[in-house]
Amino acid sequence: MKKCLYTDQIDDYILNKLEGGAKEQFEEHYFNCPSCFRQMEERDALISTIKNRGAWLFKDEAASEQRDWVPAWKRALSSFTPRQWATVGVAAAALLLVVFGVLPQFRGSSPQFVLSETEVVRGESLTLISPIIDVKSVPTFFEWKSLGQEVEYKISLYNSELLWSAVTRDSRIAVPEETRQRMLPGQRFAWQVRAFSARGTLIAVSSKVQFQVGPAE
Amino acid sequence: MEHRPPEIDLNEVVVKYRPVVSFKVKKSLGAQTPDWEDVVNEVITQVIEKVKKGEFRGESSIGTFIYTITSRRIVDHIRMKTKVLRSIPEPAPLPDPCDDAERRERARILAEAIQQLKPKFKEVLNLYYYQELTRNEVADRLGISPRRVSERLNYAQKLLRKMVKT
Repeated sequence: MKKCLYTDQIDDYILNKLEGGAKEQFEEHYFNCPSCFRQMEERDALISTIKNRGAWLFKDEAASEQRDWVPAWKRALSSFTPRQWATVGVAAAALLLVVFGVLPQFRGSSPQFVLSETEVVRGESLTLISPIIDVKSVPTFFEWKSLGQEVEYKISLYNSELLWSAVTRDSRIAVPEETRQRMLPGQRFAWQVRAFSARGTLIAVSSKVQFQVGPAE
Repeated sequence: MEHRPPEIDLNEVVVKYRPVVSFKVKKSLGAQTPDWEDVVNEVITQVIEKVKKGEFRGESSIGTFIYTITSRRIVDHIRMKTKVLRSIPEPAPLPDPCDDAERRERARILAEAIQQLKPKFKEVLNLYYYQELTRNEVADRLGISPRRVSERLNYAQKLLRKMVKT
């Protein structure tokens, strides 16, 4: 069977790697090519499953990658001289003193987050993973640390106003293409995630993290 | 000579193009956007009205005609939404529980199938789709040729198709 010339673009389209004219050409094509559309629906299901459950699906691969790092770490340590070992020992002792001696004195109550003048949440903290620093290109995904099953997250993206908001049960979400197009280089953005229990109660809220998309070339 | 519009079976058009329009709308607005289904319905209604009025003259294919209407409707929707968001707080999303349950079940079956793949197939799926490396980068990482990466991706998908069907 003759292979359609556009088949090779399916992955790039779903992963938002097609730009401008090429993207529009491909879209017009799949409106006219049932075979490409069928393949794209199937690929989209595969990619979204991988994106949403990747951390669980590939935990073995991640662990083996980490194992590969250990010998490098051991190699670095084995090259220390006795004098360097002594410095490491002193630094470790100072660190232990700070961790067990000084920090407990400052231990406060459970974390408290102020959302607005009227809302206050006590409880778990919600950690944002990516993006948390300035980025070169418009991000494809937003990712944060999962708080477990049965938690619903609401993500909000702002520039001077609310730019995009969405709800998901996963700890990672793809940014829709139309929103990405509105995220212009050089602008600053802020994003925040709120977590809700199955009963709809607000259980955690992240800090509002700011980032800038690299300046236009 | 008078140019006659082509004969179009509207029922067939709606059945064939609703999934295509839905895919494009969801991709553009995000599947989490609560009103994506309304946008799809508006596109389909516009297509039917325009065909009935004879605005489809067969100069392009019906697919291109519907694609143009869909793209314009999406842009209009985003413009309208931006204006609304300036003054009114966003409404809470109301996903269809049945649709959501079906989608989750399909995703669960697919995820279990991926789990059962051999490590050499899982690692290409991880690097190429999850970590979004290019084919050449995946090839470098695994010490194989880019052609072999493509073969493994294709074969992994063939296996998954088989596993999900059974």
